[in-house]
Amino acid sequence: MTIPLLEVDRLTMRFGGLTAVDGLSFAVGHGMIHGLIGPNGAGKTTTFNLISGFYRPSSGEIRLRGEKLSGLRMHEVARRGVVRTFQHSTLFAELSVLENALIGTHIRFRPNIFAAIAGWDAEDRRGARARAEEALDFFGLLTLADVRAGDLAHGHQRALGMAVALAADPDVILLDEPFTGMNPEETGRMMTLMRKLRDSGVTILLVEHDMQAIMGLCDRITCMSFGKLLAEGDPGEIRGNPAVIEAYLGGSRDVA
Amino acid sequence: MIDLIAQTGLNALYAAAYLSLVAVGLVLIFGVMGIVNFAHGELFMLGAYVVVALYAGGQVPYLAVVAIGLAFVGVVGLLMEWTMFRPLRDNPLGGLVASIGFLMILQALVSMGFGVRMAHVPPFTQDVIAFSDRVRLPVQRLIVIGAAVVLLGALWLFLKRTRFGWALRASAQDREAAALQGISINQTARIAMFIGAALAGVAGALTAPLISVNPHMGHSVIVAAFIVIIVGGVGSLEGAVIAAVAYAFIHTIVTTFWDGVIADIVGLSLMLLVLIVKPTGLFGTADRA
Amino acid sequence: MRSGLALLAWIGVGVALIALPHGLSFSQQEILVFLTINVLLVASYRMLTLTGEWSLGHVVIMGVGAYASALYSKHFGVFVPAAMLLGAMTAALIAMGLSYPLFRMKGFYFLIGSFAAGEIIRLLWKRFREPFGGVKGITGIPPVPDVNLGIWDFVFFDPISYYYFVLAVVSFCLWLMWRIERSPVGLTFHAVHWQDKLAEAAGVNARAYRTLAFVIASGFAGLAGALQAHYIGAVNPTSFDIEQMVFVLTWAIVGGTATFYGPILGCIVLTVLNEIVLRGLGFEQTRPLIYGLLLILSVLFLPKGLESLVGRVLPRRATSRTRAIIGAEEKA
Repeated sequence: MTIPLLEVDRLTMRFGGLTAVDGLSFAVGHGMIHGLIGPNGAGKTTTFNLISGFYRPSSGEIRLRGEKLSGLRMHEVARRGVVRTFQHSTLFAELSVLENALIGTHIRFRPNIFAAIAGWDAEDRRGARARAEEALDFFGLLTLADVRAGDLAHGHQRALGMAVALAADPDVILLDEPFTGMNPEETGRMMTLMRKLRDSGVTILLVEHDMQAIMGLCDRITCMSFGKLLAEGDPGEIRGNPAVIEAYLGGSRDVA
Repeated sequence: MIDLIAQTGLNALYAAAYLSLVAVGLVLIFGVMGIVNFAHGELFMLGAYVVVALYAGGQVPYLAVVAIGLAFVGVVGLLMEWTMFRPLRDNPLGGLVASIGFLMILQALVSMGFGVRMAHVPPFTQDVIAFSDRVRLPVQRLIVIGAAVVLLGALWLFLKRTRFGWALRASAQDREAAALQGISINQTARIAMFIGAALAGVAGALTAPLISVNPHMGHSVIVAAFIVIIVGGVGSLEGAVIAAVAYAFIHTIVTTFWDGVIADIVGLSLMLLVLIVKPTGLFGTADRA
Repeated sequence: MRSGLALLAWIGVGVALIALPHGLSFSQQEILVFLTINVLLVASYRMLTLTGEWSLGHVVIMGVGAYASALYSKHFGVFVPAAMLLGAMTAALIAMGLSYPLFRMKGFYFLIGSFAAGEIIRLLWKRFREPFGGVKGITGIPPVPDVNLGIWDFVFFDPISYYYFVLAVVSFCLWLMWRIERSPVGLTFHAVHWQDKLAEAAGVNARAYRTLAFVIASGFAGLAGALQAHYIGAVNPTSFDIEQMVFVLTWAIVGGTATFYGPILGCIVLTVLNEIVLRGLGFEQTRPLIYGLLLILSVLFLPKGLESLVGRVLPRRATSRTRAIIGAEEKA
């Protein structure tokens, strides 16, 4: 058996006395759209923050192609090929759409201050621009390249967040609740973009609270509850899993 | 040797007394309004100059002058709240910068009115309590210590026992939640600013006969107060008092056995150390949630 | 076509700057020297603020450059221009050391931390007479050696000569800073400022970029200090105290920090206002008062600085920065 692309191995995260993630293990295969779901407070977002390097785990490991990822800082995780997006519309609002995407090319075209002063980096600048435009084009944002990112429509802002991630040429994109606050039409468009992204060879791991929303999208789903693995399988298996149903009902009782 | 230690302790107690008054006011303003008042040292200076203006001439009794200093500087605090901090409520950096501007204005006005050189303040009393030949506590210093205890005690009662005090504590914890509870942010800000400024003013007025009074005297006071509030944990009144006492002792001891500049360096290094060990971002954008 | 016009405009500015001191009195020429040095100082301060943190230690860092250059040239006999460069490098190095503790802090804490670090350095100068000269500082700092270039006999005791020297150095430094800002490095500075977490997610080492901006800014500030020290011939702890820092802060805030020229504009306008207008009216003692008032008024009523007024008059070239960063700008 080959090593899975991304492995989470007995991952544990404690905040003071609270164990937010408790011995969680799962694996994400190459070229998948993998969903991480669970009721509120299940520890999804913490897991997400652990994988992206935002937090350091209390114990356990995260591996990319068998290489240890956990313990690295966020920018180091990104340089290994795992790039995250943020909830809502976290962007460089004051910069233009193209400039946002240019930041995304940072890993491939690392700026050098001396070359920049002397003007020896013209080739890199052109390369970065081409890559940024490619990423914008992928999400249909190229015509908006000169617009200030903060002035974009909501749906476009979400797409730009993904374009910034794509510009980094990642192996895995981590999406944090990508459908929050979207209407059905926007959600549909976003799903089409994600499938297109997967078909281009990028693996997607997304965290979502609303189980129904991603049933039709994900190839595989991991369901968490109270920091632990509850169930894993394809959408059909998860939908029929009594433990998952109960967790969601119990959770929704709390919420409602 | 024991005499020296006892005398150093008395000196430190006196330093702690006026420093707590200044630091507690600074913390109160920061807690309720979220603004770091860089001009706080100049409010202290203003309190001292009220004594220069009214008492040095000899017409007004000392205690009355201290009371006037308290009220006058408190009103200056209200003025600051009204003209700068209220319009800049959601802009903590703006409030801080504006307070630096105010600091310069106060220094310049006092320099123009009284000259830049040291002002002479006649002693209120020459009496000294002698514990032994070498351990002596001037009554003036005792007054400062006593006044600090009384004022801080009164503030504590005010905060714990009155409705205004409750409102103040509520808005120091969470301004928006307090506003939802029907607490007027403008009112709590005014009260905090008046009390904070008045405490600095009364500290300046009380110590005026004991220290060198000049337009730039606020500088060393604000530096000490910053050290105290950082070490004591920003936002904690009790922490500020405890840190003020600790800092005053360390500073006095180092000054006694080495010199004042080394003591300043030690104090600043202490603050830097606390900041390194426990750095927290107030204006930081993406904090861990 | 447009680049031709721009070239003409720059030549015009250059000629005006070269002609400028000849229309001024001796004391005004001296002010011009300090103004030019302060332009470098405030421009370097803006570079520091690009990544989002405001320091209160910048003037002390300038002082590090001044003290270091003074000591190298006076005690070790280093050739003065070389000592100046070494002074700048010393300032950058000290800043590098300070960046480790300081960049653990943010916002107000960074401000206070930078102030504390600066005060400690300043108190060390004050405390140690060897080698810093204590309260009186260092005097008898050697001046820049005179040179005769044929067209002009540079006697650096004379403000006009020193002004030309400073003008050349400062112009070159400003050009460097401009190149840095208009490059992918500069874009990354902005990114770290607006959303450091998002920048990190894109692989940017935010801490390293903050340090880089801090170190570069400190190097230029150190050079400004060295330029000042060798002109006055003396340095002391008081010339780098918090009051001087407040002046720099005032220039930056009154001018505005969103653009490259904002702080420079603030520095020039306030200096002219102070030295020409107030001095002319006999009010020069009121400088702190006026600065304090301006600081408050600009925070209250002109939060984006003087540059926002210029922005309203001039048409905005929104994409020119992007074009520069991607290397699409036509070579002038």
